[in-house]
Amino acid sequence: MFSEDTILLFYEITDVIIAGLSTGSVYALMAVGMTLVYGVTKAFNFAYGDFFNMGGYLAWMIMFGLGLEFGGYPLVMILVLPILFIVGYALEKLLVAPLRKREDWENKVMMMTLGLALFLTSLYMVVFGVRMKSLPPILEGTLEVGQLVFAYQDIMIFVMSISSILALGWVLNNTRVGLAVRAVAQNPVGATIVGIPKEKIFATTFAISTVMVGFGGILLSQKWFINPNSGGIIMVKAWVVTALGGMGSIRGGLFAAFIIGMLEAFVGWFFGMSYSMIALFGLLLATLVFRPQGLMGKGE
Amino acid sequence: MRLKQMAIIIGVLYGIMAILPVFVGDTRFIMNILVMCLIWAVVASCWDLIMGFAGIFSFGQVAFFVMGAYCSGILAIEHGVPPVFAIPLAGVFTGAMGVLVGLPCLRLAGPYVALVTFGVHMALQPVLRGKIGLAMGSGGSVGLLTIPPVNIFGYTFSSANMVPTFYLTLLLSLACVLVIMFVIKSYWGVAFLALKDSPDFAMSLGISAFKYKLMVFALTSFLTGIIGAYYGHFYGVLSFRMLDLDLFSILMVMMLVGGLGHFPGAVFGAFIVVAGSEMMAPLGAYRAVVMGALVVILVLVLPNGVMGLFTGKQDRAEAG
Repeated sequence: MFSEDTILLFYEITDVIIAGLSTGSVYALMAVGMTLVYGVTKAFNFAYGDFFNMGGYLAWMIMFGLGLEFGGYPLVMILVLPILFIVGYALEKLLVAPLRKREDWENKVMMMTLGLALFLTSLYMVVFGVRMKSLPPILEGTLEVGQLVFAYQDIMIFVMSISSILALGWVLNNTRVGLAVRAVAQNPVGATIVGIPKEKIFATTFAISTVMVGFGGILLSQKWFINPNSGGIIMVKAWVVTALGGMGSIRGGLFAAFIIGMLEAFVGWFFGMSYSMIALFGLLLATLVFRPQGLMGKGE
Repeated sequence: MRLKQMAIIIGVLYGIMAILPVFVGDTRFIMNILVMCLIWAVVASCWDLIMGFAGIFSFGQVAFFVMGAYCSGILAIEHGVPPVFAIPLAGVFTGAMGVLVGLPCLRLAGPYVALVTFGVHMALQPVLRGKIGLAMGSGGSVGLLTIPPVNIFGYTFSSANMVPTFYLTLLLSLACVLVIMFVIKSYWGVAFLALKDSPDFAMSLGISAFKYKLMVFALTSFLTGIIGAYYGHFYGVLSFRMLDLDLFSILMVMMLVGGLGHFPGAVFGAFIVVAGSEMMAPLGAYRAVVMGALVVILVLVLPNGVMGLFTGKQDRAEAG
């Protein structure tokens, strides 16, 4: 019925779609973290991509640097996620909070976090070397459905990132902390009047976003390599997803993440990986020109 | 700060620079550093103009610098244009690119502008390395290796005769910095400040945000492109590695040391930081770590830079 070539092409495209779905799900994770921190604290974090690498490097360190390989990923998650939370919390308290009192503080924060990004990038290069590191797949083996082959790794990445987004959504909607976070996002002054500790919520949100992007780093570093230089590109990607989805909209971020994951996978497959950045940038410009509030964002 | 004070500070800084070759003219290494000081002073001043005065968060200045350098280099190598004509052409090209990048930015709020301009920076590297760049003559991953030096009436300004080249750079750099100074103190500069401090009020007075923001994009990218093109002809080799983030960070440190929005500060910062970064050369790979940490510390501790220390009182007196 179909020629050999058509069938091969079909399988190839399926592979590309699977790759797009699994990277897209991690992009969604990163975009949700970014939307959250920008929506609540109004601070823009340029070092976002370097926390992605921080997650990857911490995981690598625990598995190979400290020789705790036997623990596998469960041990890594137990150790790395709290570390990321503490790092995020401390950075907010030490670096962002003092700036908050100044005039024009949003721009100061942008410059400060850009400095932080350069600091972390060069620190990784000094400590871990320029050579890229790789992490083992979280789950070996493949699932075969007829002629189609799915790697367990891809399925695992997809499931874990989507479930953590859902978990975050549940926390925001159903717990007291989540209520406080949403209150601060809507009206910081009003939230302070009713007794919500604003500074603590800012720091917590920053820490949560650090954990989310670091978790994304652990997941995606198994498929890519951990590259000390990639922080800036990852930050731009997360931001493109957030801007396309609409600032402050978690649902928009989800859609945008899959659109961009797919776009990247297809452009990479068809033209070569180095063109994906150009395609991404073109998409961003088109979005900002035609729909500046993003796909699902509310207009200002 | 008044025009007179700005002019005096710039005059003193460039005066000191002009005297230095008398003492160190024989040492090629130090002369090289001095030329770099003069070149980065222009880039940092342009960045200060767009970021500190116009309040547009552009992170694309390094990209414009590299665009200018590549454009002029390609014109000279591939098409045989003499550098004296290639440099202004590169300036016009980057100026046009600045307008192109500026157009979508005009409608956007702060972080989005930073994203778009930073995206230009990020997307430029794959363009220069990839097939598109190769087709234009960017030399792909090798870069440009044989850019001819500037040649005026048969006299070649290259690193072989360092002292005349230094003075040519000094003239070019001074000209660019003076242009920026007069722009800041002209009607334009006041319009920029008004638009930054209170956009609605400025527009109600009839200041067109569209016109002035586009103008500042065009002007800064034009000047950055020109000095970038000159850098290419001076250095002779170009590589996309310039788009790595360490150059970006050093420029940022220059602005922060001098004080963002405290104009001659960027020039001062450039002179100090280039010299300081050469002194930090023994640190090797740790230099970038120190630079990054320096940005963080400077933002936190010295928000108005060195110039802010001197002018803080006076600004308050003028305002009050």
